[in-house]
Amino acid sequence: MNALAGEANGPANSVRETSAVPLLAVRGLRVEFPAAMGPNKVVLQDISLSLLPGEIIGVVGESGAGKTTLARSLLGLPPVPSRVTAGEIVFRGSDLRKLKESELQRMRGKDLSMVVPNPRGELNPLLTIGRQIATIAQVHLSIGRKEAREKALDMLKAVQIPDPTRRFDAYPHELSGGMAQRVVIAMALVCSPGFVISDDATSGLDVTVQAQILDLMRTLAEKQRSAMLFITRDVGITAHFCDRVAVIYAGQIMEVAPRQAFFFAPSHPYTIMLLAAFSHSADLRRRWTVPDVRRRALPGGRGCSYVDRCPLAQGKCRTEDPPFVELTPGHFSRCHFPVVR
Amino acid sequence: MTAPLLEVTELYKRFPIPGSRAVVQAVNGVSFEIRPGETLGLVGESGSGKTTVGRCILGLLTPSNGSVRFQGRDVTLGKRRSELRGKIQLVFQEPSECLDPRQRIGNSVEEPLIALDVRRSERRARVLESIDMVGLDESMLRLYPAELSAGQQQRVGIARAMITRPQLVVLDEPTSALDPTARAEIIELLQKIQAELGTSYLFISHDLSTVRFVSHRVAVMYLGMIVEQGDAAEVFAQPVHPYSVGLLSAVLLPNPDIKYETVVSLKGEIPSPINLPAGCYLASRCPLVVDRCRAEMPPAEKLDGGHVVHCFRHREVQALDSTTDTFTRFQQEARRILGVVPAELAPESANAPSATRHETEGRQS
Repeated sequence: MNALAGEANGPANSVRETSAVPLLAVRGLRVEFPAAMGPNKVVLQDISLSLLPGEIIGVVGESGAGKTTLARSLLGLPPVPSRVTAGEIVFRGSDLRKLKESELQRMRGKDLSMVVPNPRGELNPLLTIGRQIATIAQVHLSIGRKEAREKALDMLKAVQIPDPTRRFDAYPHELSGGMAQRVVIAMALVCSPGFVISDDATSGLDVTVQAQILDLMRTLAEKQRSAMLFITRDVGITAHFCDRVAVIYAGQIMEVAPRQAFFFAPSHPYTIMLLAAFSHSADLRRRWTVPDVRRRALPGGRGCSYVDRCPLAQGKCRTEDPPFVELTPGHFSRCHFPVVR
Repeated sequence: MTAPLLEVTELYKRFPIPGSRAVVQAVNGVSFEIRPGETLGLVGESGSGKTTVGRCILGLLTPSNGSVRFQGRDVTLGKRRSELRGKIQLVFQEPSECLDPRQRIGNSVEEPLIALDVRRSERRARVLESIDMVGLDESMLRLYPAELSAGQQQRVGIARAMITRPQLVVLDEPTSALDPTARAEIIELLQKIQAELGTSYLFISHDLSTVRFVSHRVAVMYLGMIVEQGDAAEVFAQPVHPYSVGLLSAVLLPNPDIKYETVVSLKGEIPSPINLPAGCYLASRCPLVVDRCRAEMPPAEKLDGGHVVHCFRHREVQALDSTTDTFTRFQQEARRILGVVPAELAPESANAPSATRHETEGRQS
């Protein structure tokens, strides 16, 4: 059940020659929404993931799978009214769930940060972008105004904003969408956080700008040795950008694998269906799709959550929780009948 | 050769900025044709004028200059508009925003027919026919948009557009708000409708890999100009305009080993359409720029097979990159990797798809 076990052999490790101590380790995370009647609704369960310094892990899934809830729960901000009810989030040796809110508050923005989509909604329209970046540095790094200004300028340069000294005094409305997204990234990275979450940060951008932004985030993550959790709906991005990829469905990680294994030997029927949806071949997609799905509640909440959509489902899938099996080193699949080749 | 259904010639659209003498030059001399039963993909970054072109065709905007001819008749003239009602339709990007939240699905789908003065008895039959065509159940007609998933809402949007039996449908980013599986379903639905009814599509999108697989021909827009157009498979395999190359090389296909390899990379972002440069609009971002590009606008050059390009240096572009059809290779690889069916499991599976599984194989290119 533990995704941590195989990671010592992951590609990130061999390539990057880091110590095997993960920077962030999530074990058995569970998030629930209180329901007016009956038991709580479980939106995330049994989430186990760990990231090495400098590693980028992609999390893909469809809307409603729990991607954003995961991102926010890791920062201790699960969307209201949900609560984290089990599990631990160990960051640099300490469990974030055991910290006081004030301690966590100091870490957010400094050690843990998040890049969100819709940069214009994120920026304060009444303050210049330079000031917004500098304030974060000033507050978290306890440095003076001047030094913070220098840092903000360096950051604007790092995210390749042309003419940074002039743009420092620009207001958010004076920037294009791509520029505003760069500013949000600069804000997220100005304190060199150890762990960065990107929640669909490039989804509103054009492909050419997206390519530039992805390159940028990757370079900065490498330079600062930050670990990154990259949440997206676009599987294509993860193929060229992430060291490992996890697929999330109905609040559970269905498959997690090093990049090459994920794309060349996908094993979970849901992963295969998702990849087939990107292949633009109708026959391929149909082969992995069950027509006319009617959702049936599983008795006693047991069994595989994907059972009704799975073309390989059998009796066992409805009655028993599928195991999270390790197929090859670092490649896990939550399935009774994973596809192996 | 069949006569084109739609002919757009030297289309210009400028938007004056209130309180200023500046003008947004949104569309700058666009020409293209769409034949019956054909899909033309219109691609480009946001702000390149794709949607404005679509709206000029629909008559929602009046072009500043140039002509839009539908079945040989100029549709930009006011009095001709009513004759075209229902012949050109639109499908929107956000399915949830284009349906009236307080109208039942049935009413939304029926509405275009009321505008066309169709009799009530016939309307009912046409609504059923249309909703069936998009694969929705009759019982859904009584529901409200909020009760449907995004994919179902988009099916309703398509049913509403198709109910007037249009000859041309402008699809403005019809899938970009949808999840991958819903997107694939909607694309397949649109292709099915086209195969059955011979409807022409103008498919506006910035999702290049979808455009590659649904379009017969493709036009690449940049700052209100079509910089390159031609057969979709050809343009995607061997683009000759540096902008098309830059756009294609930024496409991330879900296969880590397949990427459009090129030496051409674009810098910066799309300039403002208010102050357009004198020469080629791409000059400030193009790695192959020469002095001439900054001084004069490259004219349209016709290459083989209806391939048209606006670039002085298209031969150099062609010589730089070797021809590789990245998209076809990607699809072949996907078939190899995902085309596995564990034989011992498939027959007894409780959910095994019926005989339809191999039905459409071979039809899909």
